[in-house]
Amino acid sequence: MAEVQNSNPTILNVADLPTRTRSTIKAGDYHSGIFAAVPNPADFLSSDSEDDDLLEEPIDEQEIYDLIKSISDPEHPLSLGELAVVSLPDIFIKPTLPNVSDSPLQTVIVLITPTITHCSLATVIGLGVRVRLEQSLPPRFRVDVRIKEGTHSTGDEVNKQLGDKERVAAALENGALMQVITKMMETCQ
Amino acid sequence: MTESKLSLLSDLTPPSLERTWLTAPHPTLPIVATCSSDKTVRVYSLTNFKLLSTITGGHKRSVRTAAWKPHVQGESVLATGSFDATVGVWRRWDSYGRAEDGAGKDSANANVDGEEDVDGADEEEEWRFAVLLDGHDSEVKSVSWSPSGMLLATCARDKSIWIWEDLDDGDNNFETVAVMQEHAGDVKCVSWHPVEECLASAGYDDTIRLWREDLDDWGQVACIKKHEGTVWFLDWEGTETTPTVADGANATALQSQWREQRALSGPRLVSCSDDRTVRVWRRLPKESAQLGAMSSAATGIPSIIRPTGTDETWEEDALLPHAHELAIYAVAWSRRTGLIASVGADGRIIIYQERIVSPSVDVDAMETEPVEGKASLQTEWTQFAVVNGAHGIYEINHAAWAKRADRGAVEEEEVLVTTADDGSVKVWTLQQ
Repeated sequence: MAEVQNSNPTILNVADLPTRTRSTIKAGDYHSGIFAAVPNPADFLSSDSEDDDLLEEPIDEQEIYDLIKSISDPEHPLSLGELAVVSLPDIFIKPTLPNVSDSPLQTVIVLITPTITHCSLATVIGLGVRVRLEQSLPPRFRVDVRIKEGTHSTGDEVNKQLGDKERVAAALENGALMQVITKMMETCQ
Repeated sequence: MTESKLSLLSDLTPPSLERTWLTAPHPTLPIVATCSSDKTVRVYSLTNFKLLSTITGGHKRSVRTAAWKPHVQGESVLATGSFDATVGVWRRWDSYGRAEDGAGKDSANANVDGEEDVDGADEEEEWRFAVLLDGHDSEVKSVSWSPSGMLLATCARDKSIWIWEDLDDGDNNFETVAVMQEHAGDVKCVSWHPVEECLASAGYDDTIRLWREDLDDWGQVACIKKHEGTVWFLDWEGTETTPTVADGANATALQSQWREQRALSGPRLVSCSDDRTVRVWRRLPKESAQLGAMSSAATGIPSIIRPTGTDETWEEDALLPHAHELAIYAVAWSRRTGLIASVGADGRIIIYQERIVSPSVDVDAMETEPVEGKASLQTEWTQFAVVNGAHGIYEINHAAWAKRADRGAVEEEEVLVTTADDGSVKVWTLQQ
């Protein structure tokens, strides 16, 4: 990574990034993220708190966005949200097995837009997003991170790598690569 | 949805706390070896479903794959492949299996899980680390012993397949016989033919390749390009099974005709892929392959001038009914019943059954051209059993058939052993 590949990327103002309060969903439902460090005291006071623990709060696209927007770009001191590498309209949640009525499995699709079409760091960025989501979301989620069509010269190759469970698992055991990923995650709460 | 004929017999306990990749049933003893991301291999009993011992200390990263060497007398030999790019070979005297049988039947020994530390420690010492096979440049993904046990095939992300010969010299020496580098991507799976020295491989380049030795050189004899995604796993048909006949008429005659047909083409191969398909492949018998290849050469060519190349033609024999919504990670072809099991990221187990379609039910028979000799028999594959969410919400990485060994076993009964992302390994029985 000797040379910065895109020295002049378009940057969005953090204040302009989509947030929960701007969305139509009422703000009161939202507890600062699915793994809020401080549990709501009401949960402990409530008589049926055990049931509350079992009932998982539904996770929506905004929540996915919040998990990944603050990941740092590996070559800029900026976040993936600021660089519009990830954006709310490019996140989709759908049932994994639509024909199985009681299946809890859900698929999260995140489309990534690299800042330049030949960015060799696209795989690392995609891996960072996948790792962030796999470590944050409950295991009933299947994470599908891919390059948005037409935004990268070798998008299919990158997608195949990002979709390969075995390669991703091996990458997580690769010290050098994990150092880069960990650094990208430092800016996530 | 098909009513499930597959029911859970037991979990193997205690499970690994990390992802498990594969469980290899021993060829003769009622034990299995489970490969875990925690860098260990766990050996469980199929008699009482308990952990017998844990093989540790050999690998620096996830253990991805393992295979038991066949035809070893008085000893069990296990090869393991790891993301640390090495292949380990482990040995243990078989008194182990007998001691375990005794423990399983001893009701006084009903220990609580985790209370067997002292015994466990003694047993662990009996796994002897024999040799580390060093050669691959990156993660080893699959290992397979040839039917004789003489050859070990290994493959890795470095796109290569290595064939090692076990010199059996009492000194744990292995010799590199061949390195094949034709695959254009990670080689995900290697699997030996059940009786011949023919190796099948598959992987990230979406191809399946077959390899044989010709005049001391190992070379590719076929390359199948039909899957539209990574081919994750391969398994071979056994040589003893025969499908049942769909409507029962003429069953014996049809079955013997089917066996003749298979004797010509040999055992078939099944593959599963990221493209959500399971496909069965059949080698064209040498003669018909050559006839097909040579335009007008129906008859009359003396066998002496026929091409003698080792190339083989493999064609798709069947596309199994669509049943998986996500990548299919493993298939297992039972060598006792002929049933095929598939598992994958959608958490389903599917069992498929093959039946011979009786030719008399073909209403278009009058219109088809008369065929010389016997018509080629057709078979159909149907879903025999489906289990959704077999390991809860977790992805299933592997399935294998094994001989049932607990007290409820009837003669020659089989169980299916499935291995999942949460470390759980489950044993299932079929209601026939």
